[in-house]
Amino acid sequence: MVELILCGRGGQGIVFLTKLIGEIATSKGLRVITSETHGMAVRGGSINSHVRIGPFYSPLVRPGQAGFLVSLESAETPNNAHYLTPDGILVENSPLPAEPRVFRCDAAGLARDLGRTQLENVVLLAFATMVGGFPISVEELRSRLAGDPREQVRTMNLRAMDAGVKAAKSSAAC
Amino acid sequence: MNKPTGADVRFLMGNEAIGRGIIESGCTLAAAYPGTPSSEVLESLVRWKRELNHPIYLEWSINEKVAFEIAYGASLSGARSVAIMKMVGLNVASDPFLSAAYLGVRGGLVVVVADDPGPHSSQTEQDSRFFGWFAKVPVLDPGTPAEAREMVMQAFELSEKYEVPVLLRPCLRVCHARQNVAITTPRAPADVGPFKKDWTRWAAIPRFRLVLHRQLNEKLAKMREEEPAARPVLICGDSRGATAVVTSGSVSSHVRDVVTANGALAGVDVYKVDLPFPAHAEALQQIADRYDRTLVVEETYPVLELQLRDRRKVLGRLSGTVPEQGELVPELVEDIILNVVGADRPARDAPTIKARRPSLCPGCPHRPAFYAIRKVFDRAIYSGDIGCYTLGINMGAVDTCLCMGSSVGMAGGLARGGSSERDTRVVATIGDSTFYHAGVPALINAVHTRTPMVLVIMDNNITAMTGGQPTPASDQLADGSPAVPIDMERLVRGTGVESLEVVDPYDHESMRGALEKARRHSFDEAGGVSVVIARRPCVRMRNVTMPSTRFQVDENCDLCMSCIRDLECPAFRYEKAEKKIEIDADICAGCGFCVQVCPSQAIKATGA
Repeated sequence: MVELILCGRGGQGIVFLTKLIGEIATSKGLRVITSETHGMAVRGGSINSHVRIGPFYSPLVRPGQAGFLVSLESAETPNNAHYLTPDGILVENSPLPAEPRVFRCDAAGLARDLGRTQLENVVLLAFATMVGGFPISVEELRSRLAGDPREQVRTMNLRAMDAGVKAAKSSAAC
Repeated sequence: MNKPTGADVRFLMGNEAIGRGIIESGCTLAAAYPGTPSSEVLESLVRWKRELNHPIYLEWSINEKVAFEIAYGASLSGARSVAIMKMVGLNVASDPFLSAAYLGVRGGLVVVVADDPGPHSSQTEQDSRFFGWFAKVPVLDPGTPAEAREMVMQAFELSEKYEVPVLLRPCLRVCHARQNVAITTPRAPADVGPFKKDWTRWAAIPRFRLVLHRQLNEKLAKMREEEPAARPVLICGDSRGATAVVTSGSVSSHVRDVVTANGALAGVDVYKVDLPFPAHAEALQQIADRYDRTLVVEETYPVLELQLRDRRKVLGRLSGTVPEQGELVPELVEDIILNVVGADRPARDAPTIKARRPSLCPGCPHRPAFYAIRKVFDRAIYSGDIGCYTLGINMGAVDTCLCMGSSVGMAGGLARGGSSERDTRVVATIGDSTFYHAGVPALINAVHTRTPMVLVIMDNNITAMTGGQPTPASDQLADGSPAVPIDMERLVRGTGVESLEVVDPYDHESMRGALEKARRHSFDEAGGVSVVIARRPCVRMRNVTMPSTRFQVDENCDLCMSCIRDLECPAFRYEKAEKKIEIDADICAGCGFCVQVCPSQAIKATGA
């Protein structure tokens, strides 16, 4: 049983990550329910997704209940930090150094190095899978991304994933 | 309960689960108009149709009224059919919707109406269950995506059994939730036989309407009495507590989870009603009579609460226990129930910053159109409309936004209500899909009445806000089969408009020229309506590729802030510490419009 919040700006690919996590959990036979933002807010506004793995009916996480906050935009973290449990873990897209219970990865920079800023979501999710207790493993993520029938998308996603994993391995915090 | 094991379990959005339920029910026709949070239902049907090679007919109709009428016609022809819309769409479709309740149906007719408590992406928080009650149409209210799929099938069965339309009312938290959902093989399309002529029913004059009204009331009474879904079902507790919660729909899932999770609520019994109209009022009353107190938690109107005759021990919206507006999120639901049982509410942290406001996308063709409108008409009333371009408010270029198509209709009054000439200059903006939806009759009216106004149709060739559905100008139907594209210029000319210009809003000089010509025509010379079609495809469309050119601000910048204030492009940022304007290359779309309009000519292509 674990609850997560993913947050960022509209257009950063949060719904894609929500689907990835939900599909992986589903293929593992876990019960999962999520909620996401659509409509006006996705035009660059603040958005978040809620992910609840366990025997839940409601798709919304209550404040103080999330084990993880995955933030694609550090400026959006204060909008969502209240969802974390007191010992919850923040995984943030940021070049700043790690802190206790805060894991940071410059996913935007790594994605830019790969030639596509839009890959920052996959970089950060791959980084998050390396953090202890995260509900999906890097192997599960890899097998999901490797199953994409579109060759170019598959190749780029796997490269983004490798970049995130490498960043986690070289970070003393993970 | 949906147990996520086995091969036939998919991780589906609520709207996709509804689409799946429609396909599995043997439905022959689905018609919809896009609107958040309902749009993905028909989009998912396009995918299910392709995946299953299913014969279902799918269309994005011009508006919700037409969508409903098409579905109703299919029902009279004997087929199962569905109309899909958001709740304000039901306002548009209300005329045929109420009449159809009297006439009844033949093939099962389900109307999927998505509600938006909050509201997150809508004009109102109206409760479509209440609308169902008003129209005397039964309403099923799903709590989760998996339940929504099952209720589609239930809705078709009820519709055929009682010969009435049935409304399925998912809230946003069902529509845009995703869950593992068990799916099955679709049944063959159902058919109750060809249309049978009977004018006393299908073309009933008032004398027969009275008969039909009595029949409708009898159907509802029978449904209320006999259908298990009309009765409250215990979903939490042992029915021996002192406090009962009666609930329905997506908020019932929040209630169930908080009562299960919070030890202080262990003695609370929760009852859920799947068919909140017509609910079994006596069974509800028995709960209210038996418990010390009964709390009704429902969104957004007191539908179940009002069906309780004796409310002396009932708490809800009518007693002030539940707020009368706003979404009932789980933490609020938890606080309300804790308060009712007399337990302490937990301290909760709140967001420490304000949410970021949405903006027109970088490269969006609406931005240069609004920019030019502001330059040419600096003191006009800007009559706006519903779509992405409502975000023209950020640029000071949208003053009003009422409902679909209202920019044109309201202009007729705005232009005549002002006392000075300056006040009466009205510039209306409307998107292409909204223009087709409800703008065309208003334009005919404006032309006919010689309304002095400029109408800018912001034609991005798509219904953008809701995710990119085709408009009547498309040469393809929803599933890619051929359509007759409607020619916007011919349509506008056909209404009698004399001054019509078609321009690319990226070309600032041409856009200004077209607006100045329209201004002279409508306000200085002939008077009446002028139309400018600002045409450029939405940057989010798949076939649109943007230039890779990026830009930088050079030393000619005098920090006039026009790029941030007037252009409102998200790629521009003022760096306070360095006192300079930066262009974020990751956000910039490469449109280069800023180069044309920077007052100091300080923006140059990178490396140029």
